[in-house]
Amino acid sequence: MIRVNSVSKQFSGTPVLKNLNFSIADGQITALLGANGAGKTTCLRIITGLLKADSGHAYVGGLEVSKYPKEIRRQLGVVGDREGLYERLTVAEYLSFFASAQGLAGDKLEFALQSVREELELSSLWNRRTKGFSQGERMKVSLARALVHRPSHLILDEPTRGLDVLAARLLRRTLLNLRSEGTAILFSSHIMAEVVELSDTVLIMANGTIVDSGTPGELNTRSGSNSLEDSFVKLAYGQRAGKRQQGEVA
Amino acid sequence: MSIVDNVLSQQFQALVLKELLEVWRDRRALMIALGFTLLFPAIMIGSGALSFKVVSETNLNIAIVGSDYAPLLENQLHGTGFRIDLLREGIPRELLEDKYDAVLQIGKEFETDYRNLLSPKVYLYVDGSSKSGGRGIQLIQERLGTLQKTIMQQRLSARGIAPQVLTPWQLQIRDVSTPSSRGLAILGIMVPVLLIMALMVCSAAPSIDTSAGERERMSIETLLQQPLNGWQIIVAKVLAVTSIGWFGSLLSLAVLTLSFTLLPLAEIGVQFSAGIAELVAMSFLLLPLALLVAVLQILLALRSQSFKDAQIQLSILQGLPVALLMIVNLSDIKLDSPAWQLTPLIGQQQWLSLLMAGEAIPVPLALAGSLVTLSLVGLCILVGARALSRESLLGAT
Repeated sequence: MIRVNSVSKQFSGTPVLKNLNFSIADGQITALLGANGAGKTTCLRIITGLLKADSGHAYVGGLEVSKYPKEIRRQLGVVGDREGLYERLTVAEYLSFFASAQGLAGDKLEFALQSVREELELSSLWNRRTKGFSQGERMKVSLARALVHRPSHLILDEPTRGLDVLAARLLRRTLLNLRSEGTAILFSSHIMAEVVELSDTVLIMANGTIVDSGTPGELNTRSGSNSLEDSFVKLAYGQRAGKRQQGEVA
Repeated sequence: MSIVDNVLSQQFQALVLKELLEVWRDRRALMIALGFTLLFPAIMIGSGALSFKVVSETNLNIAIVGSDYAPLLENQLHGTGFRIDLLREGIPRELLEDKYDAVLQIGKEFETDYRNLLSPKVYLYVDGSSKSGGRGIQLIQERLGTLQKTIMQQRLSARGIAPQVLTPWQLQIRDVSTPSSRGLAILGIMVPVLLIMALMVCSAAPSIDTSAGERERMSIETLLQQPLNGWQIIVAKVLAVTSIGWFGSLLSLAVLTLSFTLLPLAEIGVQFSAGIAELVAMSFLLLPLALLVAVLQILLALRSQSFKDAQIQLSILQGLPVALLMIVNLSDIKLDSPAWQLTPLIGQQQWLSLLMAGEAIPVPLALAGSLVTLSLVGLCILVGARALSRESLLGAT
């Protein structure tokens, strides 16, 4: 379970997160929606322990992130807004390093590498250095890195950007499998169809706070919209933006 | 988990391996390391060989215009070192432009004035800007000066005056230097500075890539999300950068040592006295300095705003230690005092100098100085670990 409790954060006096509260249950996929600059990446970085909240706390698996950073990082798999590849390492070396950094060794390490290789169909890339990989290949390797130690919590920042149809399908399938295994998954995205297809819960974020949350159906009902996109525009940008959007469509 | 356990842990070993692979597969860093370590000694040998050629050039072409008026002078100049042409007439400037290194012009009045003890003038024309001009003046002055002295003594004796009357004392120079000590003066300053430069140049590119580069590529974010300590990350990076910096300086040392066998050092009375033991000792003395250079460069690059910013800052600052060494060596400071020997950089330069000349180093001081350097490395690692927790490192401000 991931829980964010009254978290606030500001940069150079500008508030980015304002008393943020939400929680994500195990075995659920939660989408975090928000306009650019809404504070999504800051929120995800606070959960991973990269940034410290000015006030409030984040919890992963019941442990407070700022107090138990190492333990938290063993439970987390993260794909950030950049893939974080090392271009002079082969895929095998890259994944082996991160699996070892997570404490895997010997047979466990070999098993983890083999599993992720098969699961994400990485055989053809395995002994190639990551320099020159396509966006889809880069994202696949990055996802493999986040999954190699079988984390109980997965955080993904716009995971389908730049992916072709097959890679996006593979990613969706992987996330659904992980959900069925009990992994708590939090991802941010701008692609509404993907959010509808994958997520159990949607969090809509605007101006550093959660303005609404629920299943896509609940959000549509509450906002009086027919689609999640319209609901998102109304909730994230306000009523005026919603009307403007409707006028443009008409 | 203790520090030793952390260092021996499989996580840390994987981290070091990853950093080593990254650094040693960086083609640009390797090119710089090999380029500097191989090219710089080659330039040095080339310029050294050129200087020796100038100094040891066997024959200077001398023209004597009006030699008939002073056969005595011509006879004195004959011998090794000069190829002499006797000319009845000629314009000195044109002769110098033609093929001569020096032109001695003797006037018609020489013979008469010489007999009448009127000290006739003899003109020596040289081109001071040519590589052989300065040497020509010196050699001709020496030869003619000897003749002048002999004639003066003969004239005084003929008049019943002891030549010593005009010489209240005689200054005789006894050079007590040995080839080894002359080697210390030349090689002892030049080589340590070159080795320290090699350390800095070879470490610069990998230290920028592993810090500012990781930051710019945002892979540092992925690294910081792993259950690793900040100091483990910095230590692994320092070890990887040190490996290439140390390799560069050792390669420089090897190339220089081989080069000295090609240079005719004996001709200028210099002896390269360092043996295998000295070279091994030099390698180990360079190691703490290599670690210090690596950690300082990484710290500086981590503070930079971008990869390019780091490149600019490091290229400006890496000349400073060499300039400092030069200033300190040229000053009147007594560098062999314990305080200076314990000072990183200066201590190492002093010990390397002694070893280059085949002399013994003060072992307790060298060990203490190396410990001081390593303590500084430890301090810088802690500073680096703190720097990794800075939010601005992730572009968050």
